[in-house]
Amino acid sequence: MYSEMSDEGGTRPEYARVAAWIDEIGVEALLARRAEAEALFRKVGITFAVYGEGGDPDRLIPFDIVPRVFSADEWDMIDRGSVQRAKALNAFLRDVYGPGEIFAAGIVPRDLVLENEAYLPAMQGVTPPGGVFSHITGVDLVRCGPDAFYVLEDNCRTPSGVSYVLENREVLSRMFPALFADGTVRPVDGYPEMLAQAMAEVAPADCDGQPNMAILTPGHFNSAYYEHSFLADQMGIDLVEGRDLFVRDGKLWQRTIHGAERVDVLYRRIDDDFLDPEAFRPDSMLGVPGIFDVYKRGGVTLVNAPGTGVADDKAVYVYVPEMIRFYLGEEPILPNVPTWRCSEADDCQYVLEHLAELVVKEVHGSGGYGMIIGPKSSAAEREAYAARIREHPAGFIAQPTLELSTAPTLSEAGLVERHVDLRPYVISGETTRLIPGGLTRVALREGSLVVNSSQGGGVKDTWVLAR
Amino acid sequence: MLSRVAESLFWMSRYVERAENVARLLDAGRRMMTVPTSAEARSAEWSSIVIAAGCSETFPDPLETATQRSVAQHLVFDPENPSSIRSSLHAARENARAVRQAITSDVWAAVNESWIDMRARSPASIVGGGFAQFLDWTKTQGQRFRGGIENTLLRDAGYNFIRLGQYVERLDATARLLDVKYHVLLPAHAQVGGVIDEGQWLQILRAANSARAYRHVYRAPVSPNRVVHFLVLSQLSPRSLRNSANMIVRHLDLLKAYTDRSEACHFKAYAMVARLDDMSVEDIFQFGLHEFLTERIQENNLLAMAIADAYGFGGREPAPVRTQEA
Repeated sequence: MYSEMSDEGGTRPEYARVAAWIDEIGVEALLARRAEAEALFRKVGITFAVYGEGGDPDRLIPFDIVPRVFSADEWDMIDRGSVQRAKALNAFLRDVYGPGEIFAAGIVPRDLVLENEAYLPAMQGVTPPGGVFSHITGVDLVRCGPDAFYVLEDNCRTPSGVSYVLENREVLSRMFPALFADGTVRPVDGYPEMLAQAMAEVAPADCDGQPNMAILTPGHFNSAYYEHSFLADQMGIDLVEGRDLFVRDGKLWQRTIHGAERVDVLYRRIDDDFLDPEAFRPDSMLGVPGIFDVYKRGGVTLVNAPGTGVADDKAVYVYVPEMIRFYLGEEPILPNVPTWRCSEADDCQYVLEHLAELVVKEVHGSGGYGMIIGPKSSAAEREAYAARIREHPAGFIAQPTLELSTAPTLSEAGLVERHVDLRPYVISGETTRLIPGGLTRVALREGSLVVNSSQGGGVKDTWVLAR
Repeated sequence: MLSRVAESLFWMSRYVERAENVARLLDAGRRMMTVPTSAEARSAEWSSIVIAAGCSETFPDPLETATQRSVAQHLVFDPENPSSIRSSLHAARENARAVRQAITSDVWAAVNESWIDMRARSPASIVGGGFAQFLDWTKTQGQRFRGGIENTLLRDAGYNFIRLGQYVERLDATARLLDVKYHVLLPAHAQVGGVIDEGQWLQILRAANSARAYRHVYRAPVSPNRVVHFLVLSQLSPRSLRNSANMIVRHLDLLKAYTDRSEACHFKAYAMVARLDDMSVEDIFQFGLHEFLTERIQENNLLAMAIADAYGFGGREPAPVRTQEA
């Protein structure tokens, strides 16, 4: 198992600062400071929970105070690999909603895409400004060795969590300013500006002057509302709800105290289904009637475009390395995790025979639900799961159980090693770029591989060191 | 600024002010308990508080059986009463949460923490000496909220909507507080202008936090004319109808700088000030204090509706498109 902080030779150089800091402060004091950090998070109102009667509306995602560190060289690879991946996914979306060259070339089966639930036929023939579909792409990475990074999955719909990247740093730098004083740790607070610029770059062609931009939220009962409001605040743009918007004369407008103002670029944080009751789910109260028609005619830019989900589908995931070769003529910098597709008879046979060694997931699942981790399962659980696979093979994919890297994490018992992953957020406008950092999620239970916040995961500040 | 955001700021502010004013009404009731009177008149004191709070329809018992306990339950905790202190602090917090990005963390902390504290309180915690302490606490929440607004909020359109909400609500509350005197019975043997009558006027003044200010301004004993002057017409009193009307006009005028429009609400507000200008205390008593206050409350309601109409509250049909001001 790869420990990110140290090997047989001792502490790795990129962790020298963290190690010295822990030695200086001591675990006892760190535990005390952790409570202080939690109070800070609570004070600013960063919570993640289904807001409503019954549950605790003020639950926090646990923040682990020990940062996770990348050297400049490691980050260079992650940066280039993530950008490459986002470019290929956007090229794929342009292609499958356009000419379909990748089908013609026999690389991706046409039916796999066109019959995928996430494929949106209404988007066929639509090219968004700049050809960008996925303006914000979350690339979930795990690590198994010094240079062994794997892409676990892509997120092209509305990846969340970036507010934690910024707030984790804000809290840590407020409590321990000395750690950041000399500029060794690269700042992450450029994200809102980077996103605002990218959104301006993809404004509709007929927009004159500064584009008017907004974030569309389902409302304050949504579990990610804090993030929506945080980003709007940081970007200096309006946070709107469906009822603030209406369509007229082929454009999108917001109701203001001045009257109606045009909205040029809308970063929507609601799902495709709910976007427009006239085009999609008729019972949606969250969207804007007629917005999809305005979008297709180029009256407004939606970030991310509708229909991007087809690029991050688990059945499509296995083709991403091929997409990179096909569209970019490059070799993938960040490889996929080897994946068996149960839709293929040989693969399915292999999966059923090796269930005890594999992780099997539902193709359309997310959030760590509906999966089985072979080595941690009982014979009875495996048998029940095997029955589900035989029932509907195309609904499942399998991957080897990876030996995920661990990072030092603070517990009541002192520092312990816990598994981590990483989600960088790639931004695409006229160019494709990302901030030096991302969201590190940590599985707080000993031995656990599940880092999802809905399953008891926590977050860490992520440091990228300057060269 | 989005109409919905303006609307939420307006109501956030109205609800904080309402919680505080309901506390003042209850304080008036609590103080009247210290003035000797008959049993019949005592109960009428508490029912007058319910009437003045505009809660006679939601009050679950027959009004004439009202007691401190039942009135406090309804006006402090009752979730079925949209004007209870608990409901108001909750509504203020929900409005604030819906426009979290439009307020500062100081303002948010004030509203959020008020609600968190309120949620933890029980009827058992406000009996005996705990009652006055609770009412003080409630008033302190309003002070902290307004302190946050004054000290940290940008002076933009949102600020004006917050202040409008505050003064529309305060005008309503002061009118209702003064109207308590109309609903309170004098015991059969007591005379108008007698010790009990005077005591009741004094308690109303105290509930408006104005007894010492009154002494300072008039240097004379409590009289109905002077109390009405102070709480209705005086430009010195921060809680008078006149002062609230002045502030409403001021913030509506400031809003013109953002929207470049005069609306019906502007003219209604000017008319409200003009009406107060035209009247003396003698005119008010001649007209009938209760009738005069009822008319002001209605006028204020119509003004609030005109404000909602002018700035697109309630998701109404969009106003004609205008080019945005610089």
